[in-house]
Amino acid sequence: MKTIPPSCPEPESGRKYWRSLDQLADAPEFRQWLEREFPEGASEFTDPVSRRSFVKLMSASFVLGGLGFIGSGCRRPEEKIMPFGKMPEGYVHGVPQFFATAMPTRGGAIPLLVKSHENRPTKIEGNPEHPDSNGATDAFAQASILSLYDPDRAQHYRQGGNTISKEKALDELRNLGAGLAAQGNRIAFLLEQSSSPSRARLVTALQFKLPQARWAVYEPVDLAANRRVTGSAPYYKLEAAKVILSLDSDFIGSEADSTRLIRGFAKGRKTEKTTDAMNRLYAVEGLMTLTGINADHRLRVPTSQVVAVAAAIAAKVVPQNAQITSLAARLPLPQGVDAKWIDECANDIRANAGASVVLAGHRQSLAVHVIASLLNTALGNNGKTVFFSELPQAPTNSDIAALARDLNAGQIDTLVILGGNPALTAPADLKWAEAQSKAKSVIHLGYYEDETYAASPDKTLSIPLNHYLESWGDARTSDGTLVPVQPLIAPLFDGLSEIEVLARLGGSAATKGHDLARETFRAFAGAGNFEEAWKKFLHDGYLPGAAPKGSDAPVVANLINTSFAAATPVTLSKDSLEVVFHRDHKMDDGRWSNNGWLQEFPDPITKITWDNVVLISRRTAQEHSVKNGDVVEIELEGTKVRGPIWVQPGQADYSLGLALGYGRKRTKAGGTGRIGHEVGLYNAYELRASARPNFAVGAKLTKTGQTHRIACTQEHGSMEGRPIVREANKGQYEKFPKFARNFDLEAHSQHIGKDPATAPKDAAGKPDLERARFAGIYEHPYTGFEKRGGQVGVKVKGQFVSDVHQWGMSIDLSSCVGCGACVLACQSENNVPIVGKDQVLRDREMHWLRIDRYYSGWKEKNFDSAVDDPQAVIQPMLCQHCENAPCESVCPVNATVHDEEGLNVMAYNRCVGTRYCSNNCPYKVRRFNFFDYNKRSLDQLKGPWYGSPLTTSKDGEWNFTRWWKSPEAGTRPDDEWDLLKLVKNPDVSVRMRGVMEKCTFCVQRIEQAKISQKVKAGASGDVQLKEKDGTVPKMACQQACPAEAIVFGNLLDPNSRVSQLKKSERDYDVLGFLDTRPRLTYLARIRNPNPKMPDYHEIPLVMDEYKHKQHDDPYEARKHGGQAQGEKKGAH
Amino acid sequence: MAAESSIQEMPVIPSVPKELERQPLILNKRSLGWLSDKISGVAEGKTPKWWWIAFVPSFIIFCVCFAMVIYLMSTGVGVWGLMIPVAWAWDITNFVFWIGIGHAGTLISAILFLLRQRWRTSINRAAEAMTIFAVICAGLFPLIHIGRIWLGWWLLPLPNANSIWPQFRSPLLWDVFAVSTYFTVSLLFWYMGLIPDLAVMRDRAKSKIRQILYGIGALGWTGSNRHWSNYEKAYLLLAGLSTPLVLSVHSIVSFDFAVSQLPGWHTTIFPPYFVAGAIFSGFGMVLTLMLPMRTVCHLEEIITVRHVELMGKVILATGSIVGYAYGMEFFIAWYGGNPYELYAFKNRAFGPYWWAYWTMVSCNVICPQLFWFKAVRQNMVIVFIISIFVNIGMWFERFVIIATSLHRDYMPSNWAIYSPTWVDIWQFIGTFGLFLTLYLLFMRFLPAIAIGEVKGVTPQADPHHPMGGAKGGHH
Repeated sequence: MKTIPPSCPEPESGRKYWRSLDQLADAPEFRQWLEREFPEGASEFTDPVSRRSFVKLMSASFVLGGLGFIGSGCRRPEEKIMPFGKMPEGYVHGVPQFFATAMPTRGGAIPLLVKSHENRPTKIEGNPEHPDSNGATDAFAQASILSLYDPDRAQHYRQGGNTISKEKALDELRNLGAGLAAQGNRIAFLLEQSSSPSRARLVTALQFKLPQARWAVYEPVDLAANRRVTGSAPYYKLEAAKVILSLDSDFIGSEADSTRLIRGFAKGRKTEKTTDAMNRLYAVEGLMTLTGINADHRLRVPTSQVVAVAAAIAAKVVPQNAQITSLAARLPLPQGVDAKWIDECANDIRANAGASVVLAGHRQSLAVHVIASLLNTALGNNGKTVFFSELPQAPTNSDIAALARDLNAGQIDTLVILGGNPALTAPADLKWAEAQSKAKSVIHLGYYEDETYAASPDKTLSIPLNHYLESWGDARTSDGTLVPVQPLIAPLFDGLSEIEVLARLGGSAATKGHDLARETFRAFAGAGNFEEAWKKFLHDGYLPGAAPKGSDAPVVANLINTSFAAATPVTLSKDSLEVVFHRDHKMDDGRWSNNGWLQEFPDPITKITWDNVVLISRRTAQEHSVKNGDVVEIELEGTKVRGPIWVQPGQADYSLGLALGYGRKRTKAGGTGRIGHEVGLYNAYELRASARPNFAVGAKLTKTGQTHRIACTQEHGSMEGRPIVREANKGQYEKFPKFARNFDLEAHSQHIGKDPATAPKDAAGKPDLERARFAGIYEHPYTGFEKRGGQVGVKVKGQFVSDVHQWGMSIDLSSCVGCGACVLACQSENNVPIVGKDQVLRDREMHWLRIDRYYSGWKEKNFDSAVDDPQAVIQPMLCQHCENAPCESVCPVNATVHDEEGLNVMAYNRCVGTRYCSNNCPYKVRRFNFFDYNKRSLDQLKGPWYGSPLTTSKDGEWNFTRWWKSPEAGTRPDDEWDLLKLVKNPDVSVRMRGVMEKCTFCVQRIEQAKISQKVKAGASGDVQLKEKDGTVPKMACQQACPAEAIVFGNLLDPNSRVSQLKKSERDYDVLGFLDTRPRLTYLARIRNPNPKMPDYHEIPLVMDEYKHKQHDDPYEARKHGGQAQGEKKGAH
Repeated sequence: MAAESSIQEMPVIPSVPKELERQPLILNKRSLGWLSDKISGVAEGKTPKWWWIAFVPSFIIFCVCFAMVIYLMSTGVGVWGLMIPVAWAWDITNFVFWIGIGHAGTLISAILFLLRQRWRTSINRAAEAMTIFAVICAGLFPLIHIGRIWLGWWLLPLPNANSIWPQFRSPLLWDVFAVSTYFTVSLLFWYMGLIPDLAVMRDRAKSKIRQILYGIGALGWTGSNRHWSNYEKAYLLLAGLSTPLVLSVHSIVSFDFAVSQLPGWHTTIFPPYFVAGAIFSGFGMVLTLMLPMRTVCHLEEIITVRHVELMGKVILATGSIVGYAYGMEFFIAWYGGNPYELYAFKNRAFGPYWWAYWTMVSCNVICPQLFWFKAVRQNMVIVFIISIFVNIGMWFERFVIIATSLHRDYMPSNWAIYSPTWVDIWQFIGTFGLFLTLYLLFMRFLPAIAIGEVKGVTPQADPHHPMGGAKGGHH
């Protein structure tokens, strides 16, 4: 924005000078000319997407309005356009600001703190102040910022297929709203689940106004299934549970509120000392889920037969309940289920009455939810581990099936679809797209011009939906806490939010989201100054005081009867398979289809990107003689889809897992965007019927003979008996607490002695750190520090080392559940590009942080059973910041070097791309930008002929010329480029092609923290970042981690959490025998199996393989030499 | 290496057994003039048809090579099949392959010169040319394989405003020095040797242009005693300089691998093993080039069967060393007790790339063993075929070392399968185009055999020989 020069004060009296006649006349044209930076027309771009107009919009309405908040301590928007008259107090250009908001989810919300750079949101964090959050988020929340800048978003108001102005659309809405009452019951509303009190208020108001209108709420994946039992939502406090039984509830992955549940679960498993108690997780499930991977005992049964197992367990736990025992008697246990498993599991649950919890998954029938509810009540868990919260749900008088029927019967004239994409997601038997086109007019509020828009474009008034970062609103988190949704940016495409549309339809006086949300808040503000309460609400990002209640209404007997009666025995066979429609870890129900980060996010279980597969068990695959990548045809009740096979260890036999949300297309009429176009071979919705939305029985599978290439980021699933992830059962850990450092190769070598207490002693009996650490070319930062007697910044052997900070990280493998939020947090923080399916197939994905998943089992021993019922381990793998880094010594140009604080840093500008560092990195955590991934569109990255500025042209101009004129523009289409660059973190360089990149330990965050500490320290010289002051920055991955598995901090501070963790007996280095001396170490994983269970293994299976292959037993004292690293050993 | 005739003329000395008789290096007692005519003739007169038949396809393939480089540079190294973990594959395979080939020339011209192996004279010129062209092909790959080609000069220790020097601990930097030194010295050595022959060409030239051009190259050579004396000294000095380079270049190239800690690379046997392999492959390529040249240019009397046999013996010796190294690597992998190391070697032989490993073993270890048989050594067709196998085997050796070590290293989660793209393949084929184009131009315009040196080993060169001295006509 141009700063207008102050006008020259004209003398009060005397001669007046003038520049032109215009000035003399004080013509308005002259005034305008005076204030314009450029001649008229030159600075105005008509393209709505151009960066310039975007920046204008942004700076106009928000930069300044938003900044006002800081000065006044609140965040009230002022919708004014003006330049900085005065620099707002506290604003520093280039220093990001944080705003509290929330991401609404189905029936809940994730409280957020969003980082904004010059009023452009760039990074999403959880709101740590929220009473029920630790500042973590899930992967979707992390990736949602990319969707904000999605160039394929709906950008225009359209009516009958023509673009109309916003004003016209608003008029239409108003007129329509005025006429709705006359339509009586010929109007229908289709909504999504929402916890927003504002929406509930507006819906209620509309319902009052239109008493006969039909209201339906539809969610293709209904995570609120567990509310059906008594109406209130169970709120599990997993941290209080000792025994957890999951009945097909993937609470770690795909259930509602998983971020919070992971935290509770991980909290219950933290073992700082050998004596610490640990929870135990039993999982009964059909698909291999994250919950199953983390379970201590996992029972593999087809999804349709979980109810039988649930009934059997319940019958053992509460034998006095006749309804359950008769159900259990009626339903035979699935084939291959050991009755002892049921018995011992039931015993364990019963023994922990009041400290156990039973969860039922959303895919399961009502009977399973009823059983879970009855069990929790009978065990006295309610009020201890299970609570209940009232979350608002829109009162409905119809459902999607009834709407479809009514539409087909011609009984609905006006259909209002607010969010959602029913044309894609509605049960296939409803033929929604067809039904929808029978309405006389459709109002569609959508984030994309999607399938629902495409179903009836000529009748539709299409309104672009605002992103939650662009809208005002409110929501409730799972514990009932009210959270605000406040915008960080003016709507990029000037769309509307759901409540704004509802308000307009209802003819409310206030139609601005801000006013609506504020109005709703009046009911919650309580007595006292409303303004202050509102300011505080927005500032804190939540309204404290909500608490879930400890008891719930008893389950109605009738519900028990009907739900149990509906449960019937199921038989599955080779020719009558079960099909399970599951919520995808990346696409959810398809809503994230155009989000490149999520498309490329490796599925936490399969590690597959850019695809959906047909999950199948080893045995079933063998019986059908199919293997990975074979395209099969699945026929279910006459409908057929084709998809590629993926043999999934741990998958139930005769069960097929189909992920929702793929197989979408982008057509002229509408659909998904450029990213989501034709990702995945099949659209699972085609097989889904309203009667059986979650799983179906009776599918047939036939081989087609075709194959499909699947882009999987981890091609090898076995650890090959290598001690990379180390684990022990709880019992062994108690007996051999130092097992993690008792692995052969390391136990033989004089190994890292970070801790003087464990270092070998010299002749004088002092710890000899020099000997403990192999003397490399560079002085070790610690030893150097000691030699210098604590002097700062002294040059030792040509290298500066800091005695203020030495950074390190610790990852607790016992806590990490593998959800992958960290992967996306890293991607968002560090501008990590996506590369597309072809490049992933070529193993060129760019994620700085990957999550390795290994299955147990090897060829020589019980291979089949290890594939069928594997144990799995998960390990986040990122740059280890080796003190003795192999990458550094081989770089010919000094592009990767060590900094004085122990970071292995990459000088991107210096890198010429020999890739030798990657070859020499034993962890292979370095990533190479083989093409200009940031600047090339995915179309150009497909091969075998890759596009470059030399070989492509656009709009008649060769890209080479374009590139020559403006090298930073790349070869992406302008609209894509203009938006996508806004998502970049300005503190992190966007790497070009031919450059190696890798995890930097978020060096930009460290530097920022250091700078502000230095400013604060002033002359005092207290520049150290201290954990107790909260000045140590959190890494992006650490911040997103719901399990708090990642801890970063200063190793020189003996009280820092990371220093403490590194002293843990479970602390070990991956490949420590190479003497790379990583700054990132891991805490060995502890399992807590029940020795009485039939699937109990004396030692974890991957360690069993290690023992078998390396002829080494880490769980016993070493015969030759000391027990663990660092201790005095024999002459090795 | 006195001539046969002079031995026969001495009655006091009993006749030596036939096997011990010195075989003439040039057959049929050809005169010095004949030698000049014969050798210069290849580079004079009308361009023969065979040359065009060889040159046109070579040049087209060279253009393909050029096109691939342009495509690569404009688009990114991703056009090759490289990835993480196999971040080096065909690029460095080809580099080491060509560098290896480049070893024979200097070995022949320098080490054999110092060892007074006079049979080298018939082949040294062509072998040195081959060396230079092979090093050019080799040098191409490290240059274009880097991510930001335009910054490749950062590997040079140039003083700059940022005071950043290359990192002297990196073997890649050692490579830069080793290869550039080797190339420079080889080129000088080759050119030095060419000077008297360029003078011959100048003197024989019929057109003005040729006269001027050869004249410039000949640096005013008159063949005076002083010239010859200086020449001989310089030649000896350069030979002495080149000799350690023959050993150092490939040792240093092997450090690219040996200095890293990757199982399968981190091996102390690499320097001698690489040098032996390089000589092995170099001689293989010399034979591959020399045998057709000998036939099409009718040089059988100068490059005799004996020459071929001797080279066969070198191949047999170095091939056996290489075979020993293969075995020793396995032994150490087992004996060392490092499970990662052992796995890397098991994976080479029995993993997904087993076929590459066994191709390498058959070509490099088994094939040359046929050279124990004289009949094989003397059969030009079989020798030619074996030389091709040696080339194939040595390419695979580098591929096996580079790709199969990288594709499965420490962390099983990284394991992946590498496959080349069409650009990889054409880039490699293209370097043969570059190589052959240069070689054919060399054959067409420069004396492919060192005229002066070959004459030096003929009996007539001995002034005391009946045919020797100034009597024999022109020089």
